Amino acid sequence: MSTTDTPLRIDGLSKHFGGLTAVDDLSFEVRDGEILGFIGPNGAGKSTVFNCIMSVYGASEGAVYLNDEDVTGWDTHEIVNHGLARVSQESNPIDTMSVEDNIRLFTLPNSPFAFTGGADHEEIVSIADRVELADKLGEMPGSMPHADVRRLEIAKAIATDPDILLLDEPFAGLNQAEIRDLSEEIREFREEGMTLVVVDHNMKGLMALVDRVIVLNEGRKIADGTPEEIADDEQVQRAYLAGAV
Amino acid sequence: MVDVLTILVTGAMISSVYALIAIGFSLIYGVRGVINLSHGALIMIGAFGYLIINGVAPEWVAFIGAIAVAGLASLVLYLGLVRYTEHDVVITFLATVVVALIVQQLLTLQFSLAPRSLSPLVPGGIPVAGTRVRVYQIVAFVLSWVALGLLYLFVRRTKLGRSILATSMSEKGAKLNGVNVLYVNAATWLVAGAFAGFAGVFLGSLQSTSPTMWVNALGLAFIIVTIGGVGSIKGTIIAAYLIGFLETLTVSFVGAEWRGMFALLLLIGIIIARPQGLFGREFIE
Amino acid sequence: MSESVTAVEEESSENVLGRVFNAEANRYQMGFLAVAFLGLITVPMWNPGWTYVFAFANIWVIFAVSWDIISGHTNYISFGHSFLSGLAAYTTALLTFNVDPNMSIYITFPVSVAVAVVAGLAFALPSLRLSGPYFSLLTFVSVLIATKAVYIFSGYTNGEMGISTVSVLTFDNTEMFYLTLVPALLIAAILLYISRSNVGLVLKAIGQNERAVESAGLDTTRFKLWGFIYSAIPMGVGGALLAHFFGNVEPIAFLIVDRSIEMIAIAAVGGMGTILGPVGGAYLLIFLRDELFRAFLGPNARWVALWSVVLILLVTSPDGLFTRFWRLLDRLGGGGSE
Repeated sequence: MSTTDTPLRIDGLSKHFGGLTAVDDLSFEVRDGEILGFIGPNGAGKSTVFNCIMSVYGASEGAVYLNDEDVTGWDTHEIVNHGLARVSQESNPIDTMSVEDNIRLFTLPNSPFAFTGGADHEEIVSIADRVELADKLGEMPGSMPHADVRRLEIAKAIATDPDILLLDEPFAGLNQAEIRDLSEEIREFREEGMTLVVVDHNMKGLMALVDRVIVLNEGRKIADGTPEEIADDEQVQRAYLAGAV
Repeated sequence: MVDVLTILVTGAMISSVYALIAIGFSLIYGVRGVINLSHGALIMIGAFGYLIINGVAPEWVAFIGAIAVAGLASLVLYLGLVRYTEHDVVITFLATVVVALIVQQLLTLQFSLAPRSLSPLVPGGIPVAGTRVRVYQIVAFVLSWVALGLLYLFVRRTKLGRSILATSMSEKGAKLNGVNVLYVNAATWLVAGAFAGFAGVFLGSLQSTSPTMWVNALGLAFIIVTIGGVGSIKGTIIAAYLIGFLETLTVSFVGAEWRGMFALLLLIGIIIARPQGLFGREFIE
Repeated sequence: MSESVTAVEEESSENVLGRVFNAEANRYQMGFLAVAFLGLITVPMWNPGWTYVFAFANIWVIFAVSWDIISGHTNYISFGHSFLSGLAAYTTALLTFNVDPNMSIYITFPVSVAVAVVAGLAFALPSLRLSGPYFSLLTFVSVLIATKAVYIFSGYTNGEMGISTVSVLTFDNTEMFYLTLVPALLIAAILLYISRSNVGLVLKAIGQNERAVESAGLDTTRFKLWGFIYSAIPMGVGGALLAHFFGNVEPIAFLIVDRSIEMIAIAAVGGMGTILGPVGGAYLLIFLRDELFRAFLGPNARWVALWSVVLILLVTSPDGLFTRFWRLLDRLGGGGSE
C-alpha cells in the first residue's frame, strides 16, 4: 500500500532518439488505488514512457517520482524493489526453468549471500492462484499457450509485491473470455490495495475497466479524464482517425 | 637515436599489415555477428602455407597459394563447423578456439615450436629518407591498400558485396529479397580467410612464424576491431594505424619486450570508457 | 543447466544431502555418485600407477568448478581464469624467489589467494557491466598482459624458465593425492551448494535472460560480481596448490591462454552450470591427456587427439557428457525428461 495520494508522478518527461522526439514534456500522476488507463494510437510513445520510468531507457529530460521519491535514472531493480512492477508487452520467461521457478525468481531477496529464502512452495501456489496458474507450476514456459505465458508474466510481477503495477498491452492476443477473466483479476488486484496502470491502444477494451484515462498522441498528453469524457473528446477522436497505422 | 622518419616509415609498414589482420575478423564479426576465434589460426595458415609452398615454388606463387589456402580453410571452417554452431554464441566461441588449438598442435608436430622466418616476397632493401627499408615492406604497404580498395569496391559495387552488407543488417530482410544466405555467408568467410592469408604472409615476414603466433594475431585483431568499433571498416583501418604506430613507438622508446603491452592497456581503457569503440554502433543486445 | 528445482512432487528428498543441495536423485543417480566417489577416494589402492595423474586432476577439478560457478552459470565466458590461478601461483613463487625462500606457506598461501582475488576484481569490476563478448575479450586480454609481464620482468620472474624455489607439499604420490583431494572435494561441495541455492538460481537466470532478472528486483551486477568472487577465491587456492604441487612456477603450466581454454573445455565437456559435470570432465580430460593419449601418442601428438575429442563433444553434446548421462539415469529411474 502506498503512503501517498499519488504513488507515481511523472514530471516533464521527454525522450529523444537522435532527431526523433518520442516523448515530449509529459506530466501526469497516478492516484492511489485507481485503475488508470493509458491509451493512444500505435507509435504514440506509450511503451517509451514506461521504458523510461523503468529505466530501460534513460530519460532525456524530466523526473519520475515513486512514492514521493525521485527515482529518475535509478537501476531497474531498485525501482522494482521500491514498489513499481511492470508487465511488458513482450513476454520474457526463462525457458529453461519451470513456471514455479520463474515465479520464485521474482520472490528472491536481493542479496548474493541469501542462499536460502524467498517464497516457499505454498506461497508460490497462492501467487499463481491469483492468475489461475496454480495447476501449471511444473510446466515449462515454452510448452504453454500464449494466454498462460502472459499469466506467468503477471504472476512474476505481482510476486515482487508491488504498490503499483504497470500492464503494457495486457489484452493483446487474448480472446473475449480471457479478456473478461483478466479484467476481473485486475479489479481484484485493486481490491487488494494495488494501484494499476493499464496501457492499450484499444479504447473499447479499457473503458469499462478503468477509473480515469490519459491519452497520448505523438509523445504528448492530449486528454485526461473519465472514460466518458474521453470518448466525447474531439481531439482524441481525430488522433485515432489520423494516427491509425 | 631514433628519428621521426624511421618511425613514420616503420609504423606505416606495420600498420598496413595490422589493417589486413583485422579486416577479416571485422568482416565476420561486424557482418555476421560471429566472433571467429580461429581467425588468428587462419593468419597462421597463411604464413605456414607460404612457407610450405615456397619450398617448391617461387615467392609470388607461394603468396597467391597462401591466400588461396587460407581462404579455402576459412570456407571449410564455416561450411563444416560454424554453420552448425553459429546460433549458439558460447559453443561457437569454444569450437573456433579449439580449432585454433588443433591447428597449433598439428603445425607443432610438423614444424616444432621454433620460430622461422619467411623468405621475403621481393628481396633487397632501398634507402628511403635516410633509413634502409626492405622492399617487401613497401610492397606490403602498397598491396594492403590495393586490397582494401578492392574490398571497398567489392562491397559497394558488386551484387555479392551488396548482398553481404544487406545480410549483415537484416538476415530475414535479405532472405525475403531473394538473397541466398548460405551462399552469402560462405562468400564472406572466404573473403575474410583470404585477407587472413594475405596478412599471414606479411606478418610472418615482419615478425617470426611459429605455431603459437595465432594467439598474438588474434589478440591484435580483437583489439583493433574493438577499438575501431565493430561493424565499421573505416574504424578498423584507423585503429590498425593507431596500434601500429603505438607499437612502433613502444619498441623504439621503451623496449621490444614491451611491444603489445600498451595496445592491450589501451584496449582496456576503450572497453571501459567507450565500449562501442571509436566508430562503432552501440553494442545493443 | 536445465535441472530445475521443481517441488511438484510432495516429498522431494528423504535425505540430508538432498535437502542441503536442493536436489532429488533417483537410486541410479545416487548409486552412480556413490560408486564414483568411492572409486575416487580409493584410487591409490586399486591403481597406484594413476595416483599422480589423479592428484594432478584433483587440482584441475578446483579450476573447473571455479570456472563453472561463474561462467557456466551466467554464460559470461571467461577466457582468463588462468590469470587468477597463475597470479596466485606467481605470488607464491615471487615471494619465495625475491623475498624469502623460507617464507612460511601459512603466509604465502593466503597472500597469494588475496592477490588473485583483488587482481581479478580489478578486471571483473569494469567488465561485468558490459555484455558477454566484451567480458570474454577483457579476460582474454588479462592473460595476455600477465604473460607478457612475466617476460618483461624476467629479472623477477625468471621468464620462461620459471621459479623453482617453491616448496613441494610432499614427494609421496599417495600423500599428494589425498592432500589435493580434500580441498578439491571441499571446494566442489561448497560451490555445489551455492549452485543449487537461490544464488545459483539467480546466476543461471542471468545466463538465460538478464533483463528479466533485473525486473525481478535483483541487482544483476552485484550478483555477477559476487559470483566472480565465489569463483576467484578457489581459483587462487588452486593456483597456490598447483605451485606447491610442482615446486616450480612457469608461464606454460600456469598462465598461458591454453590453460584457460582447457578449463573451459573441461567444464563444457562435463556440463556447464552443473558443478558436478565439470568434476567429471576434469578427471576425464586430464586422464585422457596425461595418461591414455600420452601413452599411445606421445607428449606432442596427444594434444591433437585431445582437442579433436573436445571439438566433437562440443558439437554433439553441447549440454555436456555428464549432463546427458545424468538425464539417462533419470529416465532409467522413471523420471520424466524436461
